[in-house]
Amino acid sequence: MKDPRIVAHLVAGYPSVDASKEVARGLIDGGAFALEIQIPFSDPTADGPAIEEACRVALERGCSVKEALGVVREIRRESDVPIFLMSYANLVVAPGIDRFVRSARDAGATGLIVPDLSPGSDDGLYLAADDARCRAVPVVVPWITKERRSEVLDAPIDWVYVALRRGITGTYTDLGPEQEVFLSSLRTPGVSVMAGFGIQRAQQVAALVPHADAAVVGSEIVRAVANAPAGGEGEAARRIVESLRGL
Amino acid sequence: MSNKGYFGEYGGRYVAEVLRRPLEELEAVFESALTDSRFCDEIEAFARDYSGRPTPLLFAKNATREAGGADIFVKLEGLANTGAHKINNAAGQALLAGRMGKSRIIAETGAGQHGVATAAACARLGLECVVYMGEEDIRRQRPNVYWMELFGAEVRPVTSGTRTLKDAVNAALRDWAASWENTHYLLGSALGPAPFPDMVREFQAVIGRETRDQLTAARPAASEPDALVACVGGGSNAIGFFEPWLVTDDAGRPLLVGAEAGGRGSDPGDNAVRMAGAGCLGVVQGYRSRFLTDADGQVLPTHSISAGLDYAGIGPQLAHLGETGRIRFVAVSDRSALEALQFFARTEGLIFAMESAHGAAAALDVARELGSGRTVVVNMSGRGDKDIFISAAALDGAAWRAFLRSESEREEPA
Repeated sequence: MKDPRIVAHLVAGYPSVDASKEVARGLIDGGAFALEIQIPFSDPTADGPAIEEACRVALERGCSVKEALGVVREIRRESDVPIFLMSYANLVVAPGIDRFVRSARDAGATGLIVPDLSPGSDDGLYLAADDARCRAVPVVVPWITKERRSEVLDAPIDWVYVALRRGITGTYTDLGPEQEVFLSSLRTPGVSVMAGFGIQRAQQVAALVPHADAAVVGSEIVRAVANAPAGGEGEAARRIVESLRGL
Repeated sequence: MSNKGYFGEYGGRYVAEVLRRPLEELEAVFESALTDSRFCDEIEAFARDYSGRPTPLLFAKNATREAGGADIFVKLEGLANTGAHKINNAAGQALLAGRMGKSRIIAETGAGQHGVATAAACARLGLECVVYMGEEDIRRQRPNVYWMELFGAEVRPVTSGTRTLKDAVNAALRDWAASWENTHYLLGSALGPAPFPDMVREFQAVIGRETRDQLTAARPAASEPDALVACVGGGSNAIGFFEPWLVTDDAGRPLLVGAEAGGRGSDPGDNAVRMAGAGCLGVVQGYRSRFLTDADGQVLPTHSISAGLDYAGIGPQLAHLGETGRIRFVAVSDRSALEALQFFARTEGLIFAMESAHGAAAALDVARELGSGRTVVVNMSGRGDKDIFISAAALDGAAWRAFLRSESEREEPA
């Protein structure tokens, strides 16, 4: 079986700016295919309790957007893994979309995930990100209409992110035939598929491998980091990616 | 109505893909319901038989005399069943949920008035009800929690973020993302992603339409009022109250005034002044509007003596009308609101809700500014019974605390 590609999520600034860099390093050492680095936002409506709490703690400890981008910049200097920068609309529109996109690209981001700026309601994010060669990644769900699916896939994108279950991040998902059919319906030349939401175990990752180009793991990693002893966050991150890869 | 969900540059539908379909479905059902006479009849019957509409319009003659300016009229919207204007929208959306075949309702609440109205409408219409409420608001508005539970609703405390209204909205959005197939999210204010701002305004417009008819009946010879004043948190009572007058006459009248929570000062975190203060253009909780944020775009904490005005964003249509100059926004401090509460209690025997007391304070200023011979109407969007723990503590602290102590020490009856 091929080695599963894992997009490993972390919240910049959690549990501290320095410790989050250690988490990123641990995820890469553990064999993550890519990182999804979340800039903490005060109102993360699409995230579950584990990530929301991590965002709250990161903000309480003063993690600014600049510091979060600093985490990306430092990791980019050390590694060439793809880095998807994730956050919410208001942090993107506050400085101006063009400016945000340029700072993200200059910090070393490969792509941008902004769930509440979806194609058609994106205030120009998709075009700006395309211009900067730091393309946006739309998040889709299995019950979108065919018309909407085409609209999303027609946007200038390299990746599409599939939220496999109803609702928010952090609760368990089983991969059923319905999801498999949907994943295969997304196959489009030039567009890769990452799928996530609710992935906690190696068996789920293994079940996804034949149907998607990468598996996104978020809350489970954030929980492992939260439960790690101070100073042990990087090691905890490395171990969980290894275990998700079935090692 | 909005232009495809936008009011000028404000509004829109900025949601994760997961909520796009439920919102599109809601929009379609809402638009078809508006032109369905059977649905309109249901709304009217509920308003008449349950909510107690029309609510009175009172000429506040004593207040007018003491204030020494324009004639002050008070729309006694707080006399609607459940104590505030919130029932208009709760009933409208709950009936709409029935039309969509949804059996479960979720709602957020700040002051608790929207939660109480929603729980009551659900009890009456036989719908399951879950209300999300920030822990901080539960502390401030405990009596409303008791009523919601009595109506059979489940009140879920929200312990994340600032533990106030915005966090309750986040929690409700999360629930809805997982439950929309059988659940309607009954949003209580004229904000959030389209179609909520249009829908809430339409269900609240009954306040303004009634006011207009009642004014004509009270002063047949007079023309339109000179000014209308309402408090503005998210803005549902204000947009409904102003609705008949959103388009001005040639002279730019009447004056529309929105009173925001000036709180305890002008520093960040001490107020909820979005329009008359430091609000920034932003996209939060599904809509574009003006929000209190820091330079990065993080939503700031807010403060108001009234839980219902303590919110960092404002409805997109109000933001637009503020920007075009159609609505004048003013900041009213906690202290001025308390003074207005006392003033109308003493002069007219009215207890304004703490939220509405912000409007009352602004109306007194406007009445003095306009001078005699003019007319100003203020919306008492809620009545203040629910605020007794806040108003009594603020106005008569020692005696109130002594009373609470003695009450808590009483033996439970056998």
